Amino acid sequence: MSPTATASRPTTKASAASATVPGYAGKLLRVNLSTGKIWTQPWAEHMREYVGGVGLGAKILYEEVGPKVHWDHPDNRLILATGPLAGLPVWGTGGLSVITRGAQTNGATSTQANGFFGAALKYSGYDAIIVQGQAKKLSYLYINDDVVEVRDASHLKGKDTWETQEALELEHGLSGHRLSVYSIGPAGESLVRFAAIQGDYGHVASKNGCGAVMGKKKLKAVCIVRGTKALTPHDPRGLVQAADDIAHDLKTDPAASTLYRWGTLPGVTNLYKLGALPIKNYTTNLTTVDMSTWEPAKLRNGFDHRGHQCNACGMHHCHIQVIRNGPKAGELVDEPEYEGWSGAGWTIGATDQQGISWLNTRLDRACLDVNEFGWVCGWVMECMEKGYLTEKQVGFKLGWGDIEGANRLIQMISHRQGFGDLLAEGVKRASEKIGGEAAKCAVYTIKGASPRGHDHRGRWEEMLDTCTSSNGTMESANPTHQTEFGQPGRINPFNGEEVAKLVGGILGRKHFEDSLGGCIFTFRSRIEMLARALSAATGWTYTMPEALRLGRRTAAILRAFNLRCGIGTDLEYPSARYGSRPVDGPAKDHNIMDQWEHMVDTWYATVGYDRKTGKPTRETLKKLGLDWLARDLWRK
Amino acid sequence: MAQIARDSLTAQIEVTTWVTKHVGGDGSGSKLFTEAFAPAETVRQVLRRFTARHPELDAALWSPDHTELGEHIEVVINDAVLGVTHELDSPLKDSDRITLLGQFMGG
Repeated sequence: MSPTATASRPTTKASAASATVPGYAGKLLRVNLSTGKIWTQPWAEHMREYVGGVGLGAKILYEEVGPKVHWDHPDNRLILATGPLAGLPVWGTGGLSVITRGAQTNGATSTQANGFFGAALKYSGYDAIIVQGQAKKLSYLYINDDVVEVRDASHLKGKDTWETQEALELEHGLSGHRLSVYSIGPAGESLVRFAAIQGDYGHVASKNGCGAVMGKKKLKAVCIVRGTKALTPHDPRGLVQAADDIAHDLKTDPAASTLYRWGTLPGVTNLYKLGALPIKNYTTNLTTVDMSTWEPAKLRNGFDHRGHQCNACGMHHCHIQVIRNGPKAGELVDEPEYEGWSGAGWTIGATDQQGISWLNTRLDRACLDVNEFGWVCGWVMECMEKGYLTEKQVGFKLGWGDIEGANRLIQMISHRQGFGDLLAEGVKRASEKIGGEAAKCAVYTIKGASPRGHDHRGRWEEMLDTCTSSNGTMESANPTHQTEFGQPGRINPFNGEEVAKLVGGILGRKHFEDSLGGCIFTFRSRIEMLARALSAATGWTYTMPEALRLGRRTAAILRAFNLRCGIGTDLEYPSARYGSRPVDGPAKDHNIMDQWEHMVDTWYATVGYDRKTGKPTRETLKKLGLDWLARDLWRK
Repeated sequence: MAQIARDSLTAQIEVTTWVTKHVGGDGSGSKLFTEAFAPAETVRQVLRRFTARHPELDAALWSPDHTELGEHIEVVINDAVLGVTHELDSPLKDSDRITLLGQFMGG
């Protein structure tokens, strides 16, 4: 347990940098696991344009990870970044953005989680951690203000993420908000391509196999003692006013208030009515289950629960709960998000709420992305039902809704045992390997990114977004107050042109949000308010149009990174099942592939990218202030 | 005479989840209403008459000038989102079902 390295004390120059820009720590923490070297780097240059989080991470990824540095190469960077609002009194500001070259697409990744990590990191004096290299043995990173050490983690080998956090809490005599831990479970150690990074009991940076990148680096966990450094906003009174306005908006806005009260629980009943709840691996959109039992109040009241809020958050969103009855009675679990109910439930034909809640936490503990697991497990279940996979191949019989069987699959995947070794590659690669009729049943993007846990055949904007995005998941995400920047309040969801214009029109909003160090849910407010909070924090004036422009800069950099990695327009399609016509339910008469090419054309025109090459045009890059990128992308 | 004609046709209006708060509910479940209408009356006319009796819903459903729908409540006609089989000015048929569904944010 002896430390292998310690960070140098911050230099006078670094301290000066942090003092010049309020709201920031002003330093980046660099860790080379191959050499054990740890150092800090002052960060002030270009701070205003890159903001933080994914904005900062995209720039570092582009500059430091070349096309030959694949996801599993030691020179790949694992960037754990937060932003200027983290640690400040705005709701949900413990945010973490993970940026890396991910294992599923072998391209850019930006995926977010919350809890306390971002705040703890800022209080320790850092805006981001950039990890490179590969440790010789399983290690964890310990941060306590200026003391930064890479420590032996052999005693944590094989532990799941909750066990890892408990062990580190015990080891350091700290718990709760005093210690933030983000770690990988056995799936990350086994380099499962859809391994996630889980932290603070139930928060997951889940997309594009970022946990596999961490596993390849032999980094079991990052553990941060809540630091002691002060963060001073430029205009404390203005910041509190903006924070209050955001909170008031979340409480009272018709749409956001449901998030305030129930988090994402209403998703199940709402999406079902729209034909966008994925049931049994996209084989149906109908159920005989009484959907009134899935309304948020009934879902939550079915458990003994208590709030489990993130840093400075006043939402009634995250909860820890105890399973009340059934074989798992008494077990502590985190309340599933909508995507948990979907991926660990409806997608695999399970409707037992106690069982799904338990299975969802098993996924978190193993560190598997719940979305991709749903597509993998649902695919196996369907293929076994139809005889495309046999009991002999899989190792046991697995039918729809089998919670115990699904958990057995989790263990097989997490440890790459038997058929689990193939499934650990994700449903795209597994189904391509099996081939035949089985291949036609798999839900994935040709690029390799996992669709989120909706049935996108009833939610076309998300299918288009997932297939065209450059971050390993959705890039524009749900339209939120889109009228604020000139988009229509509602569209015909099955009119491809309207859908594409909306998805392209809101590009940039989410990247801006993800640059701030907060939460996607508490930032479901108006961009104007977020820009006002950022202005008060930093002393720089940000406007709503500029916020969108900054987000679009990030999108362009991630796109350029992917193009350099060989991920181009030829991969921007859904798999056969993902893009199929629904057989029943509210979306059954609508076939997205009838309009696909026109949708993609329209999207390209809207975002200002070249349809043939996939590159942002010179004009677009000039407008975004990315002349340096234009020179890179368009040089002869 | 108009009253007789209106009573001869009815549409069911289902108000769901958090939208029920605007019609005397607790923000969960759903509340059902039966609305009589005259032949050739449109989605807009029926909804305007219905929301006139529920001022909070009126404010939440419509834009401030009442010419368009606001952006946070989905209007679903017989399982199809508005814009697919019906526009606001499409006539309703007897026994049509209108669902007011709160917009879902999140993942």
